Amino acid sequence: MLHFSSSFGRLLLELKKLPGVGEKTALRLAFHLLKSPANVRALAESLLEVVSRVRFCSTCFCITEDDPCAICTGDRDDATLCVVEEPQDVLAIERSQAFRGRYHVLQGALSPLSGITPSQLRIDELMRRLEQGTVGEVVIATNFSVEGEATALYLTRLIKPLGIRVTRLAHGIPIGSDLEYVDAATVQRAVLGRSEL
Amino acid sequence: MQNFRNIRLADIEPGDSFNIFFGYNAQGKTNLLESIYLLATLKSFRHARNRELINWDSSQARISGVLERDGVVRDIELALCGEGRKVRLDGKSLHRLSDFFGTLNMVVFSPDELTMVRGMPDARRRYLDRAVFSSDPGYLLVHHEYAKILKHRNALLRSGEDGQLETWTERFALAAVELVHRRLAFLEGIREGVQAFYREISGSDAEVRLSYRTPRLEQAGMASGDVGNVIKALQQSAMEERRRGMTLLGPHRDDIEFLLNGHPLKLTGSQGEQRSFVLALKMAEIAHIRRRFGIAPILLLDDISSELDEHRNRNFMEFLSTHSMQVFITTTDLANIRLASLAGCRKFRLEGGQILQ
Ligand SMILES: Nc1ncnc2c1ncn2[C@@H]1O[C@H](COP(=O)(O)OP(=O)(O)OP(=O)(O)O)[C@@H](O)[C@H]1O
Ligand SMILES: [Mg+2]
Ligand SMILES: [Zn+2]
Repeated sequence: MLHFSSSFGRLLLELKKLPGVGEKTALRLAFHLLKSPANVRALAESLLEVVSRVRFCSTCFCITEDDPCAICTGDRDDATLCVVEEPQDVLAIERSQAFRGRYHVLQGALSPLSGITPSQLRIDELMRRLEQGTVGEVVIATNFSVEGEATALYLTRLIKPLGIRVTRLAHGIPIGSDLEYVDAATVQRAVLGRSEL
Repeated sequence: MQNFRNIRLADIEPGDSFNIFFGYNAQGKTNLLESIYLLATLKSFRHARNRELINWDSSQARISGVLERDGVVRDIELALCGEGRKVRLDGKSLHRLSDFFGTLNMVVFSPDELTMVRGMPDARRRYLDRAVFSSDPGYLLVHHEYAKILKHRNALLRSGEDGQLETWTERFALAAVELVHRRLAFLEGIREGVQAFYREISGSDAEVRLSYRTPRLEQAGMASGDVGNVIKALQQSAMEERRRGMTLLGPHRDDIEFLLNGHPLKLTGSQGEQRSFVLALKMAEIAHIRRRFGIAPILLLDDISSELDEHRNRNFMEFLSTHSMQVFITTTDLANIRLASLAGCRKFRLEGGQILQ
């Protein structure tokens, strides 16, 4: 039997550091990897490559291999800027193909409980971008969590005085869902936040 | 049900009106009631954590139930494991708690509530939160949000960091106003009922009132939803808040005052008057839910018969009978159940966590 100070034990420990991976999943993944050495090599190489090549864009702070990133240098609408918490939020909005402006990634949200202050987010960098005067509308797309909403409010207070329009992503009933199956709290919020047609 | 408290394994098929759990002290009657409440609300009415709920000799507990309403059958399954509570509805797991609520309305009535009139404000807030939640499913989310914002704001006050205080104060004020608004809407919804039921129970023409108290914010227009004024009031106590490192005003400190002919029941009411008031409150709550949802809630009565006199007992049971509700009652003695007849009741005898029918 393998000892937990063995390389296998170390692999388990490393796997368990990943979000959503507990003891059982770590074991399953480890045994799976053992069965296909070729895949393991490819995985290990891609992991190392990612850490050596991927970095944060110095303009929008999304992840990229080239700095500035493809979105920052691409042909996009300069007048609208979408502010999100994390790089994966950029991916989500890009997938929707509904937004043609540029992005700014805060790399987090305000959270006094975890000691996150405004200076730890990319807010100064955001304000410097806005001071250039090309942006006419900031779309705030932080999460609809307590922290995301507070961040949205904090930014609104900073940006509005610059005479820039500030908008917030709408939230409500998921598309394709029957009203009767949507939970009451969501329906209530959607009703309160209803919009003019 | 499996490994829930002292109940290792149990299976019951309740009837659609009165169900009585009876037995000596400490046999598992309240535990059984608690499991039903947990299945409907994912919370324990005794504020217990998993550690207390899972049988001491087991690592997980399971409760499942079949809910039938207007010919629609739903399966609810709850697993308690570690700190987690996982719920499945019709075989599908749910990711957001709020997807679940509204499935089943439940009202619990325990000796705890009978004594809340005299107790500390937090007992009345707990009652109020539970009552509002059972008739307003969106309340839970608002309450969670408020509690979270409050924690953030308190952390901020302790840290002494100023940069984001205004932001959190505004978020706090908005959440506070929303929470109070829903509490007031509930209180308004039961107001007439409380009055009418109180007169009925007491056989008097006394005037009763519920008065919501928001210390330090009464002038600030908390009740009328004036967010701007609430923010101002918060700013005025900023110094003190910083010094003490916590938020000093808001619904987490509010209270309800019960008034009988204009006098505070807490200070001047007799025990009987206080109990009649709580009974009237419960009856009004049931009637309110029935009006809102078109169906009466399921009622859980934890051994209240011992706390009420004969007359009030009968009166309350009569109310329940005429409302054709599903009721679960615990008692040490069947003779305490003041129904005209126990014939239509299902009776379950509990002994050492086992159900002997
Ligand atoms: N996690 C647990 N594991 C095992 N036993 C438990 C657990 N939690 C509570 N118990 C036991 O369950 C027993 C029954 O409790 P319960 O509150 O249901 O009694 P009861 O029948 O309502 O009694 P009473 O008439 O006194 O109110 C208690 O003796 C208690 O010690
Ligand atoms: Mg009991
Ligand atoms: Zn970029």
